[in-house]
Amino acid sequence: TVATTEAAGGDEEELQQEQHARSVLRERFLRCLLAMNNKKVRFNMHENVTVEATFGSSDIDVLNFQVSDLHTPIGVQKEALIRSQDVISFTFDA
Amino acid sequence: MQGGWRACGPRLWLRHVDKRVKVKTRRQEHRGWLLSVDPVSASLVLVNLVESRASVCVVMGHAVEEVELLQDGGGETGEHIWSFLNPTPPCSLDA
Repeated sequence: TVATTEAAGGDEEELQQEQHARSVLRERFLRCLLAMNNKKVRFNMHENVTVEATFGSSDIDVLNFQVSDLHTPIGVQKEALIRSQDVISFTFDA
Repeated sequence: MQGGWRACGPRLWLRHVDKRVKVKTRRQEHRGWLLSVDPVSASLVLVNLVESRASVCVVMGHAVEEVELLQDGGGETGEHIWSFLNPTPPCSLDA
């Protein structure tokens, strides 16, 4: 039982470290999202498609990005949601 | 770390933060200082300083094929980069 208690203690410590790392990373990421607000962003999507838009925000799961003035090949969409699954990367200048 | 970036977990991600990394996606390769990794989506935030401006690139976690460590951060790099994103340096939400 001593061994199992020690193992449980180790797991607990590991879990705490993991949670701490998670919170540090998430806070930094959220600050980046804040910095992106209202910035002109270029989205690199599948099939070599690149679109530009003004970044609004994302939902908490980072499943969608809310953007304004989305420049598409068939015109400018005033407000839009972009599915993050369709995005490979995006860039902006700070 | 091939194919397993998402599976690496927050502790390993944190060890890459404030270091220079190379990120491979299917068609592209990105390099920059790693500002953070979103623990929810595994997306990476990379920063490059170009002529006193910061160029920020977010690579979505689902598109990452490989992450390679290029260089350890040097001293002020982290704070210096944050100064481009925020008027005030980052403080913990706990404080």
